[in-house]
Amino acid sequence: MIGLEMILAMVRVMALELWRDRAALVMTFLLPPLVFLIFSSVFAGATGEDIKPKLAVADLAQTETTGRLLKALLASSEIRAEAVTPATIAAVRARVKSGQADAGLVLRADPAAAGRPFLIIADPGRAVAAPLAQARVQQALVRAAPDAALRRSVDQIRPAIGDLTADQVDNLDMAASILRAKPPEATAGDLFDREDLLGARKGGAVIAYYAGAVLILFALFSAMQGALGLMDERRSGVADRLLSGVAGMGPVITGKFVFLVGQGLVQAVMIFATAQIVYGVAVVGHLGLWLPTTLATAICAAGLALGLVSICRTREQAQMLSTFVILILAAIGGSMVPRFLMPAWLQTVGWFTPHAWVIDAYQGILWRDATLSGVYKAWGVLTASGVVGLALAQTLARLSRR
Amino acid sequence: MTATPILTPTPILTVAGVVHAYGDKPVLRGVDLTLTPGEIYALLGPNGAGKTTLIKTICGRLRPDAGTVALKGQDPARVPAARACLGLAPQEIALYGHLTVAENLAAFASLAGIAAKAVPAAVERALTLTRTVDRAHVPIRHLSGGYQRRANIAAAIVHQPSLLILDEPTVGVDVDAREALDAVVRGLRDIGVAVLLVTHDLEQAGALADRVGFLRDGRMMLEGEPRALIAEAFGVQMEVLVELLAEPDAAGELRLAAEGLVRATRRAHLWTRLDVDGYAAAGRLDKRLRKAGLIPREIRVRQPSLQNLFTLVAERKQAA
Repeated sequence: MIGLEMILAMVRVMALELWRDRAALVMTFLLPPLVFLIFSSVFAGATGEDIKPKLAVADLAQTETTGRLLKALLASSEIRAEAVTPATIAAVRARVKSGQADAGLVLRADPAAAGRPFLIIADPGRAVAAPLAQARVQQALVRAAPDAALRRSVDQIRPAIGDLTADQVDNLDMAASILRAKPPEATAGDLFDREDLLGARKGGAVIAYYAGAVLILFALFSAMQGALGLMDERRSGVADRLLSGVAGMGPVITGKFVFLVGQGLVQAVMIFATAQIVYGVAVVGHLGLWLPTTLATAICAAGLALGLVSICRTREQAQMLSTFVILILAAIGGSMVPRFLMPAWLQTVGWFTPHAWVIDAYQGILWRDATLSGVYKAWGVLTASGVVGLALAQTLARLSRR
Repeated sequence: MTATPILTPTPILTVAGVVHAYGDKPVLRGVDLTLTPGEIYALLGPNGAGKTTLIKTICGRLRPDAGTVALKGQDPARVPAARACLGLAPQEIALYGHLTVAENLAAFASLAGIAAKAVPAAVERALTLTRTVDRAHVPIRHLSGGYQRRANIAAAIVHQPSLLILDEPTVGVDVDAREALDAVVRGLRDIGVAVLLVTHDLEQAGALADRVGFLRDGRMMLEGEPRALIAEAFGVQMEVLVELLAEPDAAGELRLAAEGLVRATRRAHLWTRLDVDGYAAAGRLDKRLRKAGLIPREIRVRQPSLQNLFTLVAERKQAA
């Protein structure tokens, strides 16, 4: 009973210290949902069709067809096109190089002509922009100048079918003029129908991914900050005072652990409430598995933080180590960049970080409707990591009596 | 006629022949020390004398290589419960800065094993004894240095220990705050708390301590009641203090040395010597110094202090 009161006393100390440090309070509870919102906005858009690259266009050919294409591009809602002046390759290159455009398009010749009439100018730093712009230009060409597209198609198959007869040429001209007069519907001729999974909102998988990714990132970061209190206690003499008492540092470390787990739970509530309210992620509907996952995540962050801080001798050492560990784990584990973008070997290495397990568990629960069999391993790994960290901190505290 | 037995108070702390070394470097070389209830013992010594190691052995954090430490008869290193009678106020302000004095005391009371129901009374008592009631609800970081020191002591006595260890309690406090701290320490002695005062402040030790001990190179060089020690060391000698108007040049320093005066470390332009002929010697000295162009601002005569004794012990040690 007395042991429990000691632990609760430490929990109260940490809660009051945090409550009265407004900057730390904001960092702990407001920053995570904010960062989550930013990450999910960025990456949810990045995986869908919301990206609208900025395209600098120069019409060197100045034909009637390129005029139509340019007009269509400027009017398109799927791309942010701008006609550069003067209309030169150099001007387009300058726009791309200065970052004012994501990619450049030079209309060198009429699209109905042979060869490659268009030039795409790409910035390797924005590699995804060029192919995306290319696809948008092709779509615009089909819609704005279907006649030119038809003539190019016929030119492409001519080596296979031989020269057209005079009648065929007449028919082609007629079809082209009809297409030009009345362009087909935007979706006509599409090869694909589309079905969205699970009826979820666009980007839901990435939102579930980043809810977990941001949670473990901040749970670990905040737990490290809280665990650094151990160093402050050593430096301020509080540890000397406690080590000279009956209880020693044991209840202090357990109290810190309990508080940090609670702190992690509150952070999770803040982040996932945001995910539910803003993006409609079905957190409440999956509460049965969400809760143990969140508890395991908080235990993992609290235990690892205490263990890591305990192996350091000074606050400076602990601060440096925690920054290093947090950043490396976040980078490898997928808190910064989605894991599916990583090379296979790095994805394998990622399983040695809690981040990968947390992300996988939350995505499984919230996106793939995983059952217990899909998440129990993650619970085991996370809880075990936290318990090992706590045990390390307790052991080192006992040894540090000297 | 029956003889009345002399009652010797049972020691709270007994340190007997304690030896400790870090690796092959000996730090404590057979230290003895006892403390009885209601006694203030000042442990003095230069840096590296072994004071911190001695405190750690008393607190049960270090097991001595030889000798014994007992708190109320129990070894604090082996029996954690023995440490219940011990309170430590470290040299630093060992408190949580964002918490108020009362909140700190409540936390340390709980961490010392006081049951939740008894905590408010324990806090109230510690606040009263350290005269911090009026600052009970002020966060530590907003308190003055003196109040922080008192709160530091309050946290050490909140669980009502029989032995209080004060490590450099007056570091960084002004004269008024030091007097207030001294009053707190005397108040604790008056209710029977044994106080082990570890300090460099010889003035405070002289004013407060019932007994002092000089620790040097891991040995207790001298131990006893301050006045008795001073009387034994200096007999009827008085300390003559000469404060000059200005810093002397090289020739002036030679002249002062010829008069047996040595530079006092406490203040600038202050020189001192011991003389059996106190006041008369001071008068003669004044004339001779003026004649040599060394104008005293003031010449005082007083009983030798612990500072003189400390210097003497150091000189003897060097000579040895």
